[in-house]
Formats: sequence, structure tokens, C-alpha cells
Amino acid sequence: MSANATPAGPITATGTASRNACGQAIAITVFSTIKWWGRLFLPVLFFLTRNFPKLTVTLRQLSFIHFARWAVVTKMPYNGPPQRKGRLRYPHMYFESNFNGGWEEYIDAFSHILANGMSAFWGSSYGFPKPLPTSPFKAYIQVNETEADHYYSAYPDATSTMIQRALVLDDKLAALQRRAKSMEPEAFAAAYRAFLTDVQHCI
Amino acid sequence: MGKSTNVSGQAYAFMAMTPVKPGEEEALATYLRGLRDAGPSPFARVARTHLARFVIVPDFHNDRTWGQRKEEHLEVPYLIFTSNFDGDLDSYLDELCKALGPETEQIWGRCIGCPENASGATLKRYLKHNQIDTGIFFAAYGTAPIGKVKQALAHREQVMEFARTSQGLEAAALQKAFLAQFGGND
Amino acid sequence: MAATNVRMDLADIQGDILRAYGNDYDCTSYAFVHIDCGAEQAREWFAGLIDHVTTAEEWPAGEKPDTTLNVAVTAAGLRALGVSEQVVGSFSHEFKDGMANRSALLGDVGPSDPKSWEPGLGSGEAHVLLTINAKEVADHQRALAKMRAAMDAAGGLRIVHQKDTALLDGSREHFGYADGFAQPAIEGTSDDKARGGGVPLKDGKWRALAPGEFILGYPDEDTRVDPKRRLPNAPADPLGKSGTYMVWRKLYQDVALWRRTMRDAAKLYADGDEHKLSAKAVGRWANGAPLEHYPDKAPDEYDPKTARDVNDFRYDKDLEGMKCPVGAHIRRSNPRDALGFEGHLSFRHRMIRRGMPYGEPLREGSVTDDGADRGLVFVSFQASISRQFEGVQVQWLNAGNIFGLGHDKDFILGDPIGTGKMTIQGRPPFFLTPQEVFVRTRGGEYLFVPGMTGLAALADGTAG
Repeated sequence: MSANATPAGPITATGTASRNACGQAIAITVFSTIKWWGRLFLPVLFFLTRNFPKLTVTLRQLSFIHFARWAVVTKMPYNGPPQRKGRLRYPHMYFESNFNGGWEEYIDAFSHILANGMSAFWGSSYGFPKPLPTSPFKAYIQVNETEADHYYSAYPDATSTMIQRALVLDDKLAALQRRAKSMEPEAFAAAYRAFLTDVQHCI
Repeated sequence: MGKSTNVSGQAYAFMAMTPVKPGEEEALATYLRGLRDAGPSPFARVARTHLARFVIVPDFHNDRTWGQRKEEHLEVPYLIFTSNFDGDLDSYLDELCKALGPETEQIWGRCIGCPENASGATLKRYLKHNQIDTGIFFAAYGTAPIGKVKQALAHREQVMEFARTSQGLEAAALQKAFLAQFGGND
Repeated sequence: MAATNVRMDLADIQGDILRAYGNDYDCTSYAFVHIDCGAEQAREWFAGLIDHVTTAEEWPAGEKPDTTLNVAVTAAGLRALGVSEQVVGSFSHEFKDGMANRSALLGDVGPSDPKSWEPGLGSGEAHVLLTINAKEVADHQRALAKMRAAMDAAGGLRIVHQKDTALLDGSREHFGYADGFAQPAIEGTSDDKARGGGVPLKDGKWRALAPGEFILGYPDEDTRVDPKRRLPNAPADPLGKSGTYMVWRKLYQDVALWRRTMRDAAKLYADGDEHKLSAKAVGRWANGAPLEHYPDKAPDEYDPKTARDVNDFRYDKDLEGMKCPVGAHIRRSNPRDALGFEGHLSFRHRMIRRGMPYGEPLREGSVTDDGADRGLVFVSFQASISRQFEGVQVQWLNAGNIFGLGHDKDFILGDPIGTGKMTIQGRPPFFLTPQEVFVRTRGGEYLFVPGMTGLAALADGTAG
């Protein structure tokens, strides 16, 4: 390791531009240009990912994502001049995510934990460095990222994890509500304690 | 248009990419960015919307050092509109196009090919024409429509508050308080 | 992943960072100096100082100095010493911003708002921080007198804030907890502390952290996985190499309120055992024994400095939090493997902590405030203030989502909003409430601790 090695890129703050935030929700919007072989590879990747849910297990475990999507744009629908007709020279990949927590922590998670997934989705994009080390990867995302002009969340105070756990709690609450009136107090108290024990990670 | 790749559970991922009229980019950006301070988002009127965004993409990013042999540039900036919502596309666009009446001129009215005084059906046709299908759509709670999400969140708050304040109550008092808060046999 | 196998240039790094000076030094003073005079005159004083700065070199047996001196600077201090805007620009964004300007991010609101901070802190006046450690009170006084004499002789300097601190009995902090012994294990320096102090690996093993996580100019965790072996971003040399960033925060502790709250809340929990309830909030018993090893009862006669299991634990067998609650303070500040994925969500957020309690203890058993000022001077060293200090403060202490705790904040430190609570997991769970403002920020600064070469360059005016 050389003492003169160039530093690995800009240190980013934990946040992102303020227009990308709506309460707890953070928007990230990324466009990348795809190499020729991505044109063939990506549809296959998408197909496999859609049909083999096991591949998205880790993504699901990282429960701080509300919704995310990838799309490949090969041609813009035509609306008239000065729009050009015909296919784009290169395919372009659109990625957007709606997540919670710090931007840097989000990218770190993808760098360290979903390195294979990152390589699969962005490996065919021009300029994609490897997911690790994190600094060049973060710099790559930043350079390809566009700030949202308007971002909306129907439930800005809620995180994805909160919603997922609230849905679990809701079903269990309904079950308790159905039984509550007809039970003797002691039985109810026991049922309530069991309910709380069951949902303690949801509140 | 509208493949099943846009769907996860009952959630739908819609994307429209519309070219911005030359010279209109700055006005469009100013308008969109001002929405936040002007009051509730127009999307709040379309109850089925979970999360949505407007993003103006000025151009593709080209970097010679990345080995891309030829550059590619957008001839005009493009406005991206994405929405993650409940249910089927057609009825959603009906609702959206109806609710966003006043905003249409300021937003898609600044885009190439948008019909004059577009609203309702004409706007919907324009958006569908410019739809970009999703390759992969990930939804953490795609089976839960907005009503269910909001109800669950509200119940979570109520349970937290009840759990906090009812500690130490004797069984009868506990049951009484629970029924008062949450009812029974719903 | 290749090991870094790096030799640290201890003579170039200031002391008390890689290795603590130790509890022999039970008096510490922090003096924030403001430079009124011109840069050239200030540099003359500075040059006189650095002859006495203590480095990271090991002391020969039996030759511990009576006092130690270390020097740090703020962004304003760099400018006051004549460093160019271009070089100041090479420092991190948050350092230049200053802690006071980031109060919204850090949760320094309400009673902790910078507008209520003590004079000299967060105002831009603090330029150079002198930290003096001493073994005996007499040495301490002498060192302070010497410092003041040198300043008077130089002229154009004044102390805008000074805090004198001393260890409490048993190395406790004011809520009664043994503190300071759990530190990150650093490759090449404290590999022996890897079990518990390092990164938890999949097979039950541990490894120490790369030194660049704490000292600039050295390989960090990113370097380990970089084929090009690039070093992390650092300020322009000669200031960057061997330096580190420092966080200094004066935290007032409302001991009476803490005791009252615990006493009252414990009536409904563990039959009034407030020590147990308190331990659940912290994650350790007052004597330092971790709940993960001692979930029901504190061990008698436990010395955290020598106990082998004090830090050797992980959370994989207690993901539900039945032994150590999910939101316990030590679990939030260092989740180890609790976030899954082999510690990969937490391993880059470690900090070296060197703080000291200040103020007289509240009389034992008293639950009434006596109006005295007491608390903790929090000091941490890290290569990146935003990733390490702020990341923990913002994502892990003032928020709960990553742990599945919704908006719950750390019970001790978190600024509560109305109905704050902490869930003590159990069958059934218990809800520790109300969450009060037990700790208030009275002031703080972000600083940079240059290496010895960097200090010399500052004194010479050759830092650029």
C-alpha cells in the first residue's frame, strides 16, 4: 500500500438533498447507461428475480424499503418534434427506491450485504465500480442520481418496518377484539398479556 | 401497455416519461419544487397513492472514462412521473387525471404532445401513451392497500398508548379500559 | 479480505487515542483557548506548546509522566493559526460546519439547544483545546498554572471555556454505571481485545478493526476490500496523516430525576427492583456486568477492568431482547451482530471514547435535585465524525427504526416527545415510561487532533 495512494472519493454526509425527503421517506432516483450485453442480460435477470422469490429474501430482510423498482428504457414513446424518433442508442436503466434511514447507511447496506445483487443489476452499466469498497460505489450512485423535484408519501411519519409490523399487529388485535367482550376478566387479562407478548416487537 | 411486471400483490408501479417543451424546463422545475411550500401535495387528493414523485432528468450522464464509445444525449429534458398505488391502472389514472385538473397545465401542459387543456380522458391517454413498463417491482407490503396501512398504523399508535398507560391495572379494570378503547366483537 | 498488517507510527500520533492513558490519571482538564492576536504570534505560543505534547509511544516501565498534554483545533482555530482556506476546505464538511450548526440533526433541541449552551462553546470562539491529564491534584494544578503562564507570556490569548473533571469512585459515571472499559479493538494496537471489541464474524470468531477507522492516513475497512488499496479521505497533508477527528460534548445529567423515574417505574416491574430496571435501560448492571451474561441478577464483586466476560458477548442468541433489551443503551450504541448480516450494518460506526465525569456526586439515595452541575464530558475519536459519531447519534440513539423500535429513542439520551417509552422485552413486556430529559447538552465542539508532524507544520506556518 503506497503512502501516496489517492483517497477513495468524497466523504458523503449521512443525508441527501432535502427535496428527496418526505418525513421518514427518502427518494433515490438513478439512471445508468447500459452496455450492449445488458440488453440481453437484464431481461433474464428480471425474469429470474421475479420468478424465484428466494433471490429477494435479503432485500426483504432489510426491511427499510417501502417500494423499489428497476426498468430498462430502450425507446421513448414518441410525441412529436423536437423529440427524436426511434430507439435510443443505448438502453438505459432506471432505478428508484423509497426507503428510510440515512442515504449513506442505505448504500452501505447494499454495498456490504447485497454485493452480488448490486453487481447483477448494475454490472452491465457503464462506469459501475465494484460494490466494494463503498466509497467509489457511493460516488458512482451520486453522479448518476437525480434529485426529486416533488416527492410525496401518504404516510410520511411511518417507516416501512413500522408498517409491516403494524399490519401484523392489526390482525392480532382484531383477534383479541373478537374475544374481549365475552371473556371473564382474568381470562381476558391472560389473553391480553399473551397478545402483548406476541406484538411487543411491533410497538 | 401495462404488463404484469408492473404489479406486486395489489400494488401497481406506474411510470411515465414525457419530453419537456424546449425552454419550459426551468418554469416546470420551479413549479414542481414550489408544490411543497404551497400546501398539501396534489397527490394527497388521490387516496390510492402510497408514494409518488416527479423528477426532471436534464440529460443522460456521459463519462468518457467509462469506456462508452459514443455519447448519448437527450434532445430535451424529460419529466419522470412515478407512482406506487393500489389496484388497477385504468381506474387510478381516471382518479388522478380528475384530481390533478388545475395542475395539469403547469405540469404536463409543459410537455411535448400533451393535448391542449388536457384533462380526464385526454390526459389519461397521454400518460398511458408515455408509460414505461417496470422490469422488477419490489413492494414490502404489496398486499395492503392504503386504507389497511393507515388503519394498522393508527391501531399501532393506540396499542402503544394503551399498553403504556394501562400497566398495573387489575384484570377487571384492564378489560373495561380495553373495551372502552378498542370495543369488542367487532 | 487481506489483513492490513500496518505498523503505526506511534511517535507521530498523539496519545490517549489508540491506547488510553489509564485510570491513574484521575484529573482531566479541558481548556478551550481563543486566539485574539494575529496568526504569527499565536503560532509562536503554539510552537512552545507542542514540545510538551504527549505522543502514543509506550512509556517505559515505571516512567509514566505525572501529567500529559494533548492539543486539538477547531475549524475556526485552523484559520486563526493562519491555515489557508484551501487547506481548511480539505477537512470534512461536518467539522467545518461545527456541532452547534448541526443541532437539528443531532437532536440538540429544547433544553439542549445551542442557544442555551455555556459561554465559549458552539459560538465559534473555541480555537485550540488543551487537554491536561494528571495523576495527582498537585501535579494537575501545576500543569494548569504552567499552561496559563505560557498563555500570559505569549499574550493575545484567553480561555473561553474550561472544564475540570475527576474520576468518580469505581470509575463510574453519575447515574452509577461503570463506564469507559468497552472500546473498539484496533488491529496492531489492541488485537487482544478483539473478542467483544472487534467485528463479530460468522463462525463465532472476532477480528479487530482496521486502524484507519480511527487514525487518518492508515488503511480503513474500505481499504481492506479495495484492490487498489486506496486510503480514506483525509485533510491535506501534512495535517491529515496521523490525525483524527474529535467530538467533545458536555452532557448535564439530572441524577435526581433519573433516580426518581427509575424508583417510580420499578414499582410495576420486578417488584420495585429499580437496579434491575435501570440495568435493562442500560444493558449492563451498575458494576459493568453485561445483561447478556447476567440477565437476572448482578454478579457480586465484579471488576469490569479485569472480568473476562465484560465485553465478550454478542446478541445472536438474544435477538428478541429477552436478556438485554433491543433498545438498551449499550446495544443501541454498539449493536455488534444484532442487526444481522455478520455485523456489516454496524462495523463502520465504532468510536474510541475517552470521556470523564464532572461535578460532585449527588448524595447517595437522594432523589431531590441539589442544583449542582454534574454530568459527563463525552469525548470520542473517529476518522469520520459523520459516519461514526453522527451516524450513531442520529440513526441509533435518536431513532429506533433500524432496530424495529419505530420512533423510540434511547431512553437515557434520547430527547423524548410526549409519550416516550422504552419496551423491556419479556413475557409479557414491560413499558418503561415516562421518558424524561435525563441528559441535556450544555455545549460541544467538533475538533481535529493533528499528528505530531501536523502540529509542527501548524506551528511553523507550513500547513498550507
